[in-house]
Amino acid sequence: MLDFQEELKKFKPSLEVEDIEDAVYQENLSDMTDLLREVMDQNNK
Amino acid sequence: MEYEYKQKIIYQSNYWYNDGLRKANMHDLSGAIVSLRRSLQYNRDNVAARNLLGLVYYGRGEVCEGLVEWIISKNFKAKDNIANYFIASIQSSESELENYNQVVKKFNQCLNYCQQDGEDLAIIQLKKIVVEQPNFLKAHQLLALLYLHTEQYARARQTLRTARKIDTTNEQTLLYMHELTQLRGKKLKDQTQKEETITYTLGNETIIQPVSARIKEAAGRNTILNILLGIIVGAAFVWFLIVPAVVTSKNHTTNRQLVEYSDQIAAKDAEISAQKSALAEYRSTNDESEETVQTAASTSDSYENLMLASSQYDSNQYNNSTIAEALLNVKRAALGAQGQARYDELVQSVFTPLCDELYATAVSQIQVANYASAIDSLNQVVSMIEGYNDGAALLNLGVAYAKNGDTENATTRFNQVVETYPNTDIAAAAKTALGGDSNVGAAAQ
Repeated sequence: MLDFQEELKKFKPSLEVEDIEDAVYQENLSDMTDLLREVMDQNNK
Repeated sequence: MEYEYKQKIIYQSNYWYNDGLRKANMHDLSGAIVSLRRSLQYNRDNVAARNLLGLVYYGRGEVCEGLVEWIISKNFKAKDNIANYFIASIQSSESELENYNQVVKKFNQCLNYCQQDGEDLAIIQLKKIVVEQPNFLKAHQLLALLYLHTEQYARARQTLRTARKIDTTNEQTLLYMHELTQLRGKKLKDQTQKEETITYTLGNETIIQPVSARIKEAAGRNTILNILLGIIVGAAFVWFLIVPAVVTSKNHTTNRQLVEYSDQIAAKDAEISAQKSALAEYRSTNDESEETVQTAASTSDSYENLMLASSQYDSNQYNNSTIAEALLNVKRAALGAQGQARYDELVQSVFTPLCDELYATAVSQIQVANYASAIDSLNQVVSMIEGYNDGAALLNLGVAYAKNGDTENATTRFNQVVETYPNTDIAAAAKTALGGDSNVGAAAQ
């Protein structure tokens, strides 16, 4: 049996046009390359 | 070595991009998003993956999320990037973007309504949203959730079907559909259970009794009752509707036949009556003919007897008795004038002396009480000359009958005298004889 309130919590507000700019800036663009570089840097240290 | 790792990372990114592309082609948008995000986790510079991700978001109705990805993609690669085209397409129609913005605001408002127990308002709003933005997956999902919550299962099913068309493997959609299936099964089970059992309490115990047995018990009885009822209704229908009509029809036929037969009978009666009339006519004609024949025969006989009597008288060889015998067979009325004249002549010549002789003999016979002989003699006399001696013959004939004990003939003769010779001595004597004293006439001498 579904819990209505729990399911409701899964719904997040959608992005409005005004929020696009903030969303772009807040986007996490880290990828594996960055991770690898960090590892390499640590190894080099 | 770093290069090798970089190559492997790129390969992995491309691998997941391909997987994302494959899933996007199958409308598995949720799966495509996961694969493409993974692709970007390996290599954020994978512009193709980012563009595709933006497109997938756009396909799910999340335009702004798509725009975000395209803008980032454009930052990574400003030229020869399809993201420029996507952004330009959306920005070219300001009204459409504004409409979409309003839709998103309404959706966010619906979330607030739901959190404030305003499900009805949220449903109304969401219905409008899914009409304006048919591929807005989250709106469909929220609407389906609200329908499930308010037990509008049919509408929930329809909404979830639409949502599944947009994104075939979306976990939330599948979860709601599974819940719907379970709810429907449970409802059927409850209904069936309710129909199959009867629950009631008896004291401290709750008794659950299966209904099927009672239904089965009643089924046979109900069937028979229904059959009987059907027969009764059918019989009543036939009796009250069909039989009167049949009887009326038969009566009409019978009446018509009766009328026909009556007409025939009347015609026959008329015919019979006509035939009877004709028969009576024929009979009367026949009677007349017979009478004519008889008259003719009688005339012939009379003339023959007259001629016989005349020839006997003229021959002087016959006594008066013999001639009288022939004359008695003559009917005077059948003779013509000459015949009657000759008859009268012969009567005078034959009957008169003969009657004188016979009368004298009869008187003597009465006096000596030879009444039988007197009767014969006097009968001969009256047959020749009925009124012989002014009724004396008749009177003495009556006396002879009376003396002989033949009261009936005696009375007849006495009455004849009284009627024929009224106010005469003869009549008085006859009356005396009728009174009982037959010593009159010759008997008185």
